[in-house]
Amino acid sequence: MGTNGIVLDALGDWTRRQIFDALRGGPRSVGELAARVPVSRPAVSQHLRVLKDAGLVVDRKDGARRIYSVDPNGLAGIRAYFDSFWDEALGRFAAEARKERE
Amino acid sequence: MSTTVVEAIRKTVLVDFTPEEAFDLFTAQIASWWPVGTHSYGGDSVKEVVLEPGVGGRLYEVTADGEQDWGSVLAWEPPTRLVIDWQIGDARGTEVEVTFSPEGPGSRVVLEHRGFGGADPRGRYADGWDVVLAPFVETASKKA
Repeated sequence: MGTNGIVLDALGDWTRRQIFDALRGGPRSVGELAARVPVSRPAVSQHLRVLKDAGLVVDRKDGARRIYSVDPNGLAGIRAYFDSFWDEALGRFAAEARKERE
Repeated sequence: MSTTVVEAIRKTVLVDFTPEEAFDLFTAQIASWWPVGTHSYGGDSVKEVVLEPGVGGRLYEVTADGEQDWGSVLAWEPPTRLVIDWQIGDARGTEVEVTFSPEGPGSRVVLEHRGFGGADPRGRYADGWDVVLAPFVETASKKA
């Protein structure tokens, strides 16, 4: 689905969406995330790597742990994707709604 | 708490159809104009797009493999307003509101897609539950 394919693929996985949704509530560590989703810490880390590669989350070091949070630029990417998504869909709708009536 | 807010998308089109006709085209006849080739999970293999009328109605695509949900109806007020809990393409937790109002002999159709980045009310509820459940999670994680 367009240039944001990697973003959409990253969020196409159910567990990753749970993790991303949890981060929407605020920054969290891997341990905190693992307590919220039914997968192991290593699995959470792997999902976080995919989300990070897609530009959806960012991380920073806090002592011995790493804190993850939503990257606002990633969300802007999803928004940009849907901006053109609706241009096309509504364009089709409007063309249909302008047809001569029989 | 840091909540990221991304501005809503707003689109307006003017059409010849009356609000009644436009609402019907947008809902009951959605399959006649929705660009499934690019705007669906199944692409060209999509056989049908269905938007069930009424609050709680499902919006979904149909392929040979079965059905794939896109969202569900949160508000159903023909012929003026429609709100859908949008799930396609990952924007889970976002909302799409479409309003239809008279404009000359036709109508003005305004679409708003909002809630990116937890700006929607349900995002705040999710935080509320996080606060409520935090002590529980803390305790439940400590045993060992």
